[in-house]
Amino acid sequence: MRYVKISKQNTYEFLERLKKIGTLYAPHKISEKFFDFCEVDDVKDVMFEYQRTIRPPRRFFYPEREVLFTFDTRKVELYENLPSDKKQILFGVHSCDIVALRTMDSKFIDDQPDPYYKSRRENGIVIGLSCLPDEYCFCNVRRVEFVDAGFDLFFHELPDGFLVRVGTVVGHKLVDPYEGELFEEVCPDDTENMSKFEEKRTSMFTTQGNWDNLRYFMELRLNHPMYIRESEKCLGCGNCTLTCPSCKCYDVQDIPSIDGRTGERIRFWDSCQFRSHGLVAGDHNFRETKQDRFHNRYQCKNSYCSATTTSFCVGCGRCTYFCPADIQFKKNLMEIAGYKGGYS
Amino acid sequence: MAIIDGCDGECQPRVGVYALTSCYGCQLKLATVQKIMEIANAVSFESFYMLSSASKHPADVDVAFVEGSVSTEKDLEELYEIRKHSRILVALGACSVNGGVQSWAEGEMTHEELHAKVYGTGKIGMKGLQATPISKHVEVDYYLPGCPPEEDEIMYFISAFLFGTFPEPKDYPVCSECRLAGNPCILIERGEPCLGPVTTAGCKARCITFNVPCIGCRGPVPHDTAWFDSLAMTFKNKGISKDQVRERFRIFGAHNPNLEPMLKKIYGGTD
Repeated sequence: MRYVKISKQNTYEFLERLKKIGTLYAPHKISEKFFDFCEVDDVKDVMFEYQRTIRPPRRFFYPEREVLFTFDTRKVELYENLPSDKKQILFGVHSCDIVALRTMDSKFIDDQPDPYYKSRRENGIVIGLSCLPDEYCFCNVRRVEFVDAGFDLFFHELPDGFLVRVGTVVGHKLVDPYEGELFEEVCPDDTENMSKFEEKRTSMFTTQGNWDNLRYFMELRLNHPMYIRESEKCLGCGNCTLTCPSCKCYDVQDIPSIDGRTGERIRFWDSCQFRSHGLVAGDHNFRETKQDRFHNRYQCKNSYCSATTTSFCVGCGRCTYFCPADIQFKKNLMEIAGYKGGYS
Repeated sequence: MAIIDGCDGECQPRVGVYALTSCYGCQLKLATVQKIMEIANAVSFESFYMLSSASKHPADVDVAFVEGSVSTEKDLEELYEIRKHSRILVALGACSVNGGVQSWAEGEMTHEELHAKVYGTGKIGMKGLQATPISKHVEVDYYLPGCPPEEDEIMYFISAFLFGTFPEPKDYPVCSECRLAGNPCILIERGEPCLGPVTTAGCKARCITFNVPCIGCRGPVPHDTAWFDSLAMTFKNKGISKDQVRERFRIFGAHNPNLEPMLKKIYGGTD
């Protein structure tokens, strides 16, 4: 792998130049406690230290709502509305979110290729950024705290800038023109500093070890009392799934025009926490109660993604941090598996 | 009903727009949607006083939109007549769907007490009733909530009827739209009693986008999925009293049968 170094000052200049390639999105502080990926206007507004964004990065490749195609009912024709090939650059993506995007790829590219997602992904540039965990983070026990694929560049914080790992050909092409100008060679001190950062980061996680056997305990303890107790608190608002970086469910709807001759088919994010998610013809519902729906998310998120060899949950902490009812996903999982630090 | 079946605009569906006790804001919204001229070409408005004085009341229609709550005996008689003359009946707006703000006294005060509080000993020229949603009196086919309803939903309802299908109800809360809008959560960040988690989606979380907590104008999420108990528990943990919670829930949700039992479950029988 190729490694280069960039100073903080030059990073701003690099971001400025990225804006010329495409639309640049990066973490911004949007309120006292929340961050979000926003289009970069002033590069000085970019936040290099943040825990998690309120909206997951998947939305840049798989928007909350999109028109898939329009149709003409008289000609019985449809006209696909494929995304434009404009470049989207995401700067500041944490390792958990990068792995989450790879779990998305496993479904939307590998399993059933989705032309809308695939096209945006091909026109996307992902630049990773190192981070320090808070008490909601548990990417380490999910084994996704350090990524080796899924990014074009990855910025590791140093006291005087960043050590950059180059992950793809696209990444090389971003660095090449500015080598010697913005990017310099890595010296042993930088490596030492990166090592210190990683050591500090590792010690900061509130959960240690790994949760490799969790998914088996999830299956073995399907009737754990936690589900009853915690689903009682649940508001069924869907925040956990909508902020999740690896949730994929969507619904489609046809919206006809007033004259009934044309219309559009829209796709929008759904949530397994909503009643209609499991509703099928004949008024049958696969997940009739709130507890059924609550249960579903715990099983789904902890199931195995063979493409990443991890669970679909990447331990970003969003579902807990953004839960209005303060339901603690991490603690609940630890309770089921019998790990120390859970509720029981 | 569907105009696409070789009809070519000759067999226009007949539509009626009616108001019971209300502010007329819902039909004003309907009358001022951007594509009102297209709608007026596609349907025949048999009754819509805001648009035409040639309206009949009631008229035989395929679809009736009824705004307002039943607040007088006259409202009730009119509603029965409308139902008799309409194939499909849509409750239009917060008052019609949930009783609206005027029904806050449900279960708190008798109609006589309420009358005395508002009018004293004064007389009014009609027989008043406790304000109720229209579904308490007649069969309602579809609900189009909002105070007033949203333009895109009005368009969706009308185009779905014209297409010969039916509008799909939203059974998820404002909270979800708020997250998708990228708003910071007022409930988490400031501990304010936002009703987003129990209120029917569709407004794209407009109030919260303007930094104002939701007061639930679109009414509780249908199909018994408005979890007043869970939200009351969340509010209780933030130190909000039963009275405050109750008052807020009741602004637009006083008629929901789950409200009182669910509040009691969290706060107990006493206030």
